Amino acid sequence: MNREQVAALKELMAQEFTALEFHLYLDTHPTDQRALMEYNEACRQLMVLKQRYQQCFGPLTFCESSGYPWQWIEEPWPWQISY
Amino acid sequence: MMYEMNSGLQLARAYIPSQVFTQRFGAMEGLSKGTIFPELYMPYRPRRY
Amino acid sequence: MWFYEKKLQYPAKVGRANLRMAKYLITQYGGPDGELAASLRYLTQRYTMPTGQAKAILTDIGTEELAHLEIIATLVYKLMDRSTVGEIEAAGLGAYYADHDKALYYVNGESVPWTAAYIQSKGDPVADLHEDMAAEEKARATYEWLINLSDDPDLNDTLKFLRQREIVHFQRFGETLQLVQEHLDSKRVY
Repeated sequence: MNREQVAALKELMAQEFTALEFHLYLDTHPTDQRALMEYNEACRQLMVLKQRYQQCFGPLTFCESSGYPWQWIEEPWPWQISY
Repeated sequence: MMYEMNSGLQLARAYIPSQVFTQRFGAMEGLSKGTIFPELYMPYRPRRY
Repeated sequence: MWFYEKKLQYPAKVGRANLRMAKYLITQYGGPDGELAASLRYLTQRYTMPTGQAKAILTDIGTEELAHLEIIATLVYKLMDRSTVGEIEAAGLGAYYADHDKALYYVNGESVPWTAAYIQSKGDPVADLHEDMAAEEKARATYEWLINLSDDPDLNDTLKFLRQREIVHFQRFGETLQLVQEHLDSKRVY
């Protein structure tokens, strides 16, 4: 995996982590409107990053369209990557 | 029922204060710290024996 | 239901292969305070939580723990990478090798297999949430002892991330405990 892909992957991890943190916070603070706005914005940005990443490097999860041949089976798998 | 000497808290019951979200770290800094909330960031200071 | 996402939660790396640390770290894979125990505990306790809020936090943290399980597996896999049988034996992992080669198996640092006896699902939400808060503290302490045992800054970087997640989870379970206690109080009007 080249350096460009690793950098894109780390950016994706960071954005997804932001969304997760607000997700957990909102579970115990469902009426915090500012946190809700942050969450919605983090998810919007995450979707953009994921689409861009998957167009370049293949599907990350179920039901993302694949090029030919079936890209899901491509290595490296997450534990094989040098970050 | 209430333990009034102690500002309305009950005995035999645990209390955790609720977090109030005010500020956050940027996405990359939050990932490297393990939280995006500055008030929850409590890094380990290793002990030497 | 669940779908897999083909990425780690955190870019887990190690500075070098290190069988000594692999032997210690595997307890967070299949040990009493490890990530498998955490995940399975939360995901089975959620069914009898009294509020949507409590069901949500147990579902979400139980799911995040599966991502942590994958990070631990990745670290152990990398710590054992390219090691020879001689090195494995010298590190005290000969018996593990005989049963598993370098495959990942759910055991603690002394090769005791994972057991459901590590966890409880009591049906009493206050008791269950106290167990969950204690579990987060025990895992936090385990990560601190592992950091003390390790001199690899890359490995410690990921261990510090996982340790910090225990603190955030403790806070969320604590907040959930308050909300559940208030919910139970509100139903206790005579």
